[in-house]
Amino acid sequence: MTNNSFSALAALAAATPGAAGCSEREMVRQSGKVKLYRYRPIARPSVSTPLLIVYALVNRPYMMDLQEDRSLIRGLLNEGLDVYLIDWGYPDGADRFTTLADYLDDHLAGCVAHILEAQHLDALNMLGVCQGGVLSLCFSALQPQRIKNLITMVTPVDFHSPADLLSKWARRIDIAAWVGDGNVSGDVLNQLFLSLMPFRLTQQKYVDLLAANPDRAGAENFMRVEQWIFDSPDQAGAAFREFVIWFYQENRLAQNRLEISGRKVDLRTLRVPVLNLIGKRDHLVPPAASLALKGLVGSRDYTALEFDLGHIGMYISARAQHEVPASIAKWLAAR
Amino acid sequence: MQPDPWAQWLAFSARFTPGASPSGTAQNASSFAPFADLSEHFNAAARAYFDGAANAPAPAAAAAAQSFGDSLRELFSDIQLPWNLSAGIGGAPPMFAPNSPALGASRESQLRAQRMAEAWRRIEEAQRRLQRFGADAVREAAATFAAGLAAAPPQAPSAEALHKLYGTWIDCAEDAYARAAHGEPFCNALADYVNASSEWRKELQAGIEHSAKLLDLPTRSEINTLTQRLMAVEHELRALREQSRPEAAATPQRAPQRAPQRVPRKKAKP
Repeated sequence: MTNNSFSALAALAAATPGAAGCSEREMVRQSGKVKLYRYRPIARPSVSTPLLIVYALVNRPYMMDLQEDRSLIRGLLNEGLDVYLIDWGYPDGADRFTTLADYLDDHLAGCVAHILEAQHLDALNMLGVCQGGVLSLCFSALQPQRIKNLITMVTPVDFHSPADLLSKWARRIDIAAWVGDGNVSGDVLNQLFLSLMPFRLTQQKYVDLLAANPDRAGAENFMRVEQWIFDSPDQAGAAFREFVIWFYQENRLAQNRLEISGRKVDLRTLRVPVLNLIGKRDHLVPPAASLALKGLVGSRDYTALEFDLGHIGMYISARAQHEVPASIAKWLAAR
Repeated sequence: MQPDPWAQWLAFSARFTPGASPSGTAQNASSFAPFADLSEHFNAAARAYFDGAANAPAPAAAAAAQSFGDSLRELFSDIQLPWNLSAGIGGAPPMFAPNSPALGASRESQLRAQRMAEAWRRIEEAQRRLQRFGADAVREAAATFAAGLAAAPPQAPSAEALHKLYGTWIDCAEDAYARAAHGEPFCNALADYVNASSEWRKELQAGIEHSAKLLDLPTRSEINTLTQRLMAVEHELRALREQSRPEAAATPQRAPQRAPQRVPRKKAKP
């Protein structure tokens, strides 16, 4: 197995670098480190209302547009959607006291207001991904008049579902002491994520790489994902502390006990159409954690779609490219 | 700008491809060598199993499977699981004896050093417990793996079969690990590790701040205070701007002023 790989890698080392394939975009708003991008359309418009993608604070949003043949955003553009994306940036020491309310009321609300004003609209479509889905749910519950349709993707809602290992670990940790008055290191969070499946994530994937004898495209694919996995921004301390305590430890969202900056986040007030996209093999956000949304939102137009994919596979697998953007576009077009 | 993944790959592959680079990068081969070594050792153990089990009577095949499982247990016994990579704490253990009485002008410093020593002891103890869970998982996985092999007839030793066996072994290891990791003892050990690390870091920071003050250098606490004051001013400004917007009355507002507050820390559980 290794002899083959050594020869393949020696051949790869002699090749020349290639350009990464990403969709064209324009930065349309910046506030501090937070940037709002609008993607250049590549197909005839199918849905007139723009779609704002709200990514997680952990990890970088370029996973949504990794390369031409592995891009959820490109898939959405191909379906004729008008796509915006928030890039939260890399928080540094000056951001340590930034709270979830700051992210919601200043950054997310600012981006939404910008799009609505620019397009003379009252409401937009929102796609929240993972932790970004939680932020989207909170925003939508607080400002429902600004949301036309809400899509959540691999989004935890019930943080105490039995298969949620991260939650079990987090519940016993003194988060206030861990965060202190600083930020939380992205590297440390990565160690925690690797610990969820250490044999697969620290051993098997590299052995499999050797065994797969990758060509140049395969090697580039691997390295792009590898780069993304370990390109982990530090987390603004105050927001991280709130997120872990309120959601992971106290499960306030699912128990209808969440308040942000003095306002109750009641998902029952959320009456817009909701599409919930779930990865059946997601080890970070177990399906049960997402499926709980059905019983919590006030919307009568609720759809859950389950895909036989893992957390990352939902963005970049070949199957996801075929199924996920088309499902989103079809659902939006019907509303 | 994002770095070019192809360039990364070239650098990556050059590190573990002997002779791939004329500049002598073979000296850096260690970064990928563990995975190559792992594959080689796995292959050797698998081939020994195939040799011993092929066309052999059931007891001999079972013994070969058992031996394969034992080899894997041995091979993975030194695996460095992520929590033992000094995540978030770094530095060297404190040199202070934990039980000596704190006397004199440096009493506060002595107490701080003792608290650090105690926190370090708890870190090491939690790490040992976690490593034990890892070792137990590998032992359990090896037994499950060997039992599975003994129950199924051996295949021809092709590259595909070896890779499949490796996948089966990883499945066994992850299953055994998951059973432990979901359990309360493991969760407690991990929490003890993180909480003790937090305690150790807090004491270290206090010591550094103490030294900084002696040298009249700005401390992190002072910068934090200034940051909080600045944020409070920013929030006030934003609230005033919001109030002046005509549509402000129709939009639900956050609480009017909210200077960032430090959250009182809970005492970490011993």
